Amino acid sequence: MRPEVLISEVASKVGGKFLHQGNKRFVKWVVASSLMSDILTTEEEDILLLSNLNTVQVVRTADMIGANAIMIAGGKPVTQDMLDLARKLDISLISTNYPIFETCFQLAPLFNQEKK
Amino acid sequence: MLQFPGNETPTTIQEVILRLKVKDASKKQVITARKTDSLRHIQNIMRKKGISAVPILEDELLVGMISLRDIITALDKSYINDVAEKHMAKSLIILEDDMPLSYAIPFFDKYSYHRFPVVDKDKRLSGILSSRDILLALLRELNNEIIELEKMINAEPADQLNRIKREFIVKKFDFENAGRASFELKKILKNINAPRQTIRKASVAAYELEINIAIHSEGGILTFEIDEKNIVITARDKGPGIEDIDLALQPGYSTASDWIRSMGFGAGMGLANTKKVSDKFIIESNPKMGSLIQSTINLHPPEESDAA
Repeated sequence: MRPEVLISEVASKVGGKFLHQGNKRFVKWVVASSLMSDILTTEEEDILLLSNLNTVQVVRTADMIGANAIMIAGGKPVTQDMLDLARKLDISLISTNYPIFETCFQLAPLFNQEKK
Repeated sequence: MLQFPGNETPTTIQEVILRLKVKDASKKQVITARKTDSLRHIQNIMRKKGISAVPILEDELLVGMISLRDIITALDKSYINDVAEKHMAKSLIILEDDMPLSYAIPFFDKYSYHRFPVVDKDKRLSGILSSRDILLALLRELNNEIIELEKMINAEPADQLNRIKREFIVKKFDFENAGRASFELKKILKNINAPRQTIRKASVAAYELEINIAIHSEGGILTFEIDEKNIVITARDKGPGIEDIDLALQPGYSTASDWIRSMGFGAGMGLANTKKVSDKFIIESNPKMGSLIQSTINLHPPEESDAA
């Protein structure tokens, strides 16, 4: 079983800024990619979608796989239509200045509780 | 009546053409001249306003027309300084503003004029009608009609589970809207309380196929059909067809261009991914007809019903 990690905890670990706070409070895993089709192949549930692509399709893709939160890495500006759709779908949308690798590096320990 | 060769005119379009009157399409602000104005003066009006015909009035009543052709003849024959009355066309083909538009359309075939003056009940000039005006009016009206039809489609209740069918048009390179159809499917499946796994599989298949049409084809149609057992997602496009289907199904193989990749698409996983989530997967393609890809997903996974 994947551990449930609070989205607020995930965000604060990488100095993330909540642009929208959705109704789901936790995530169980992170899928990091900027290729939408790669993301769609995942079978993980309740994920955080980590991407450095800032298009509205990231939010749509997140919705299709039922992601609980989206994090845009590398300080990329989040567009208004992304924000509008995230609000409409009520998916948390977080922005961090850390690039993808650093973000993964910071977040990994949070998701590694089963080995403790 | 308008005739489209090979096709029956849909009733909606017939209704629109019959409903519209000449005054719904005609241009109301008409630039006119008096019969005592010189052709030179009228030529200047045409040049300044960018028009090619000017109705001539006397006491607000239409008495003639001067067209660009009349001006050219006047220049050629050196009588450009004559008054309009001397050379204007006096026997005019006139439309009344209460006539149905369908009645006016054949006028453009019957007579060689590009526009017709329009008068009201009191024979006063109320507008002018060109084929462009007709096209604009038809487009505007059809636009409104389609908006209404779309509203009706969306209002269709989802709780009649016998069979739900939806069709969505997907345009080439329209990444702004690509994904909307899949979003609708997801909403429908949630409404009918489909199992979570099924919703996810169907969403992924629909989204991949929708994006595929936008990226690789000249545009197409995505259809969802849902009954008690299955969700059938069909993507039909207008071409150009898939050259090598086996290759296209290989994970990682893609023909997408760099700018498509820069938007996060074209990873070469689309078809392989769709196939993976499908319980039944059909792909047909040829260069002339375009491609047909159909993904069928069981509404209820077999294990679940067995185990229960």
